[in-house]
Amino acid sequence: MDNKRALIELKNISKSYDDETVVNNVNLTIYENEFLTLLGPSGCGKTTILRIIAGFIKPETGEVIINGKVFNDLPPYARPIHTVFQKYALFPHLNVIDNVAFGLNNRSWDYLEKFYGEEKINAEIKALSTNKEISQKKAIKSLIYKDSIQALKLVKLDGFIKRKVDQLSGGQQQRVALARALVNKPQILLLDEPLAALDLKLRQNMQYELKEMQRTLGITFLFVTHDQEEAMTMSDRIVVMKEGVIQQLGTPKSIYNEPINRYVANFIGETNILKGVYVKKDLVNFLGVDFKCLGYKFNDLEEVDVVIRPEDFDVVDLEKAKLVGEVVFSLFKGVHNEYEVLVKGEKLLVHTYESYEVGQPIGLAIDPYEIHMMKVEKSE
Amino acid sequence: MNKEFKVLSRPYMVWLSVLVFIPILAMLVISFSNLNSSVSMSELVLSVSHFNLLWESSTLIAFRNSILFATITTFISFVLGYFIAYEIKLSKFKNKFILLTFVILPMWSNLILRTESLANIMSENNILKSIIGFNIFGNISGTWIAVLFGLVFTYMPFMILSVYTALEKIDFALEEAALDLGLRPIKKFWKVVFPLSFKGVVTGSIMVFLPTLAGFAIPKILSRGQIVFIGNIIEQKFIYTNYNHGALLAVVILIFILGSILLLTKFDKEGETLL
Repeated sequence: MDNKRALIELKNISKSYDDETVVNNVNLTIYENEFLTLLGPSGCGKTTILRIIAGFIKPETGEVIINGKVFNDLPPYARPIHTVFQKYALFPHLNVIDNVAFGLNNRSWDYLEKFYGEEKINAEIKALSTNKEISQKKAIKSLIYKDSIQALKLVKLDGFIKRKVDQLSGGQQQRVALARALVNKPQILLLDEPLAALDLKLRQNMQYELKEMQRTLGITFLFVTHDQEEAMTMSDRIVVMKEGVIQQLGTPKSIYNEPINRYVANFIGETNILKGVYVKKDLVNFLGVDFKCLGYKFNDLEEVDVVIRPEDFDVVDLEKAKLVGEVVFSLFKGVHNEYEVLVKGEKLLVHTYESYEVGQPIGLAIDPYEIHMMKVEKSE
Repeated sequence: MNKEFKVLSRPYMVWLSVLVFIPILAMLVISFSNLNSSVSMSELVLSVSHFNLLWESSTLIAFRNSILFATITTFISFVLGYFIAYEIKLSKFKNKFILLTFVILPMWSNLILRTESLANIMSENNILKSIIGFNIFGNISGTWIAVLFGLVFTYMPFMILSVYTALEKIDFALEEAALDLGLRPIKKFWKVVFPLSFKGVVTGSIMVFLPTLAGFAIPKILSRGQIVFIGNIIEQKFIYTNYNHGALLAVVILIFILGSILLLTKFDKEGETLL
């Protein structure tokens, strides 16, 4: 994304319930056509941010700016935003197609005229009026119907248009909810843990489909989840949150490889965090051994937290190894083996393809660029 | 099911058969035969001779009154009751049970007592007038307005409760979804809230309509005998021991009730809103 245009800007947003701050002074810019994920455990304020953007909650302080206009006081129905709700919130008294067309069916004619544009409506009138005159309203209704079918095709549910929504499976309901939002051609689609209720296989399929849809439709997706893997798979950028505060904002890669603190490092996948000392430029000492490192700047002899992902260890012959330990626990994970290795009293998590028995010695090495360091947090 | 529970259910099964099924059967027999105190069982003949009663103008007028008043009462209860239920649902008041208690509070006093008191304050000289100095109702006792007021006053709580139950069941996320899809609050009400609470309206309507249709105390007391409902005629027939006629009219009412329940099951297949 080179020519980024800010679509939503949150400025100093705060919100609290009963003296408990849920969102604390959040600043966030969301760009056009990006897939942004708010990631964090439940109760971290991610859903609150989503609901503030949708207009269901008013922030106590700060501004919600959409397309350069302050939207704080606009009700949800006046925002160019649609939401896919966690439990889908499909209307049980309507069938699938009526659910999808619900938004457009209930718009004013003026709105719909602008929505479709004169040209499209006239073309539709021409297409429909073979032997009798077709009114503009009829043409618009026909366009809505066609669009709804189109949206259902997009989510591969066009064979279910007359079904009642309670006769659909969870995954299908999910798709209807998605089609119901997409048919309105929103600039921004908010997704509130929409995949949480689906089983693993379906969830993975939906992840790819969502990402694909976002790419082809060119809509900004703001996705909320507590599942770091889901966030990694789909997002252009991830916002990691904790207790209403943004911890880190960045691409999945940068957040995974260069977590800014222990919280982010622990939340994004399994990892080893070790106490170390930044000896001098490009040299760090941990577990009593000096390691070469790259690209970090701290004061000489400053204490640092060293982050090493389990898959970044190289398993080597004992004589070549920088660290020698003993395998104390092993787990076969299909693709790789997961070991707990005891090195100088510290347990390290190591992923490797090599196979070792519990009790065997193991030699480990680490490439300089795999060593990541974080400033030590005073509070912890 | 547990054996113990089966045993415990027996007393009511006996009760049900002795005091409900047998009387209904007796009612049917009496209405379709010449059976009465002066005819012995051996001379029992099936006949439809009482059916002329149904076409007598007094019966027809009573039926018309019952149906008319029941319909109007149901409609007024629906319009007023719905919005009371909706207000209770929307209220920020934490303990909504207390609000509902206020709604059903009048039901805790005896119906006859309540209706008599209502008739009293609707007449020219009454206790309220001597306390506050003027007559709130004017002197409407004996008029159709008094009867209608009494019926609505008595039966609207049923409507409020069943509509409220239906409203409470509507997932709030659906209302949010409607707003999210661009509906203004008024439109959201008509397109989402009202259709989803319609079952409650049907249940409530039947719960108001049936007792109004079959009742006799309220019209008798509040109209001072001026407006005759079908229930009043049945009461008269039984008082004057004309059991055949009384039973026949009661059977007609029963058919109305069964029809309503059939209607209800059609709208409410899961019996969700039935309190």
